[in-house]
Amino acid sequence: MDTIVQTYRLTKRFKDAEVIKPLDFTLKKGEICALIGKNGAGKSTIFKMLSGQIKPTSGDMQLFGKTGKKKARARKRMGFMIETPAFFPDFTAQQNLEYFRIQRGVVDKQRIHEVLEIVDLAKEKKKKFKEYSMGMKQRLGIALCLLSSPDCLVLDEPINGLDAEGIMEIRKLLTKLNQEKHITILISSHILTELELLATRFVFIKNGVVVDDLSKEALVDKSRKQILLKVDDPAKAARVLEQAYVDLQYQVLPDQVITIQNYAEKAGEINRLLVDSGVFVREFRTETLKLEEYFLGLVEGEQQ
Amino acid sequence: MINYMKSEYYRLFRLKGLYITSVICFLLIAAAAAVLYYFGQSDPNFPYNTGEFFYSNVIGSGLLIVLVGIIFNSTLTGKDMSLIKQSVSFGISRKIIFWSKLIITLSCFLAVCAVGILFMIVLGENMFPSDQQSVRHFLIASVNMAPLILSGFFLTHALKMMKVGDIYIIFVLLFIYGFSSNLLRNLFRPVTGLNEIYKYTPNTLLNDNLMHFMDGTVQFEYLYWIIGIVISVIAILIGAKKFKNQSID
Repeated sequence: MDTIVQTYRLTKRFKDAEVIKPLDFTLKKGEICALIGKNGAGKSTIFKMLSGQIKPTSGDMQLFGKTGKKKARARKRMGFMIETPAFFPDFTAQQNLEYFRIQRGVVDKQRIHEVLEIVDLAKEKKKKFKEYSMGMKQRLGIALCLLSSPDCLVLDEPINGLDAEGIMEIRKLLTKLNQEKHITILISSHILTELELLATRFVFIKNGVVVDDLSKEALVDKSRKQILLKVDDPAKAARVLEQAYVDLQYQVLPDQVITIQNYAEKAGEINRLLVDSGVFVREFRTETLKLEEYFLGLVEGEQQ
Repeated sequence: MINYMKSEYYRLFRLKGLYITSVICFLLIAAAAAVLYYFGQSDPNFPYNTGEFFYSNVIGSGLLIVLVGIIFNSTLTGKDMSLIKQSVSFGISRKIIFWSKLIITLSCFLAVCAVGILFMIVLGENMFPSDQQSVRHFLIASVNMAPLILSGFFLTHALKMMKVGDIYIIFVLLFIYGFSSNLLRNLFRPVTGLNEIYKYTPNTLLNDNLMHFMDGTVQFEYLYWIIGIVISVIAILIGAKKFKNQSID
């Protein structure tokens, strides 16, 4: 698999604060990699170093295997949208993209119409950028990223300000670009449920350090599962379960609910055991922790 | 660099402010001519109804022209600077951005200055009595002024690219091109060897140029060019170096 981004011991220091501690990160071709972290964790700083907006304090990085001055050429194969996209407020979308089309040496003028169609802004011909809603501005930012037909997109909070429909459209678009055009995507968002639906890899960052890096499959496996059951007699159910499983970890909750944190793989066996023991099971289900819960567990767990 | 410059031209020629500023400059020239012409016609003893006096309005407005340069430079280095993050992330070097913006705004400023000078000569020669030397003297005085005005433009560009606020830029320009001689004269008066340094400040040179023009003794001076080039080179070198390492948010 080709490497799109590779960083070696990359650091960034602002005055006395080391915002990014030595970072070794690799982005492989075809991935949709979600960078997840709280505000101030260092996500935008990493993006800005990749885009060249800020210079690393130390370390090195390769883009498409290129370093040094050749890196600037490699950046032309990438589309960056970091924080709020900036455009000329008195220009229409068409004029703004024409400015960047000329600047980026995109020969095909039709490409502007194509990308505006993709982000559903083609009909807004006369509206100036200053009259755009937040969602429209974000969409134009994505259109700009796509203008030069990049091989990799780096998107910092691209669904910020979008409504539910807009978020879904962007998710579909990014999935389509990844699957059909094989565009690699590095993305961050505070809407973790969206990232969970979109990404194929999850990198968790805390205080400038990568604290976990796992694939979607690994995340599913690693997400702690629990069994939730609702019974008529929780005391009896607990007694039966304790006799059968010595190291059982469980909690008795209000409303006759019991949660079991281990033995999730033996859910069927547990269900049969309770029924055979005369416990009436009203509800029985296996729960997987969501990305958000996993993230909070990771961050807050380390804090504790 | 060519693509970047082309895109900046695309932006520049769609800025209303640029056209409005240019038109205002030409209107001010026309207004000055009209006022002098009107008073010249209504009062036969009006002493300023001459081409020389009309031209001296420009020769004596060095500081004002430097300040007008801020407006021209700001067309591409003002609010639009927020867009350069997208240019940088596309791999366009800061060097290209720095020089392209300078070349384009400077060419536009020079074009307006050139048209303004031609416009003045046309008005001056057709509306006012003047001797044969007045245009020649006006052009020589303009050539003497040019490097100092340009140094102000370069200084403005360097400060703008370093994200220095407009108010601070105006103060710096007012000091260097307006009041530096007084300060340096008072400051270094007791210091032997430095007590003459005020003679080399831009505002002393601009004043000298005006005086020489008014008494008809103006001639091409290398000193104006040396001072102008020194200020320009220092400003550009510092500006380019700072901008190269500047974080772009």
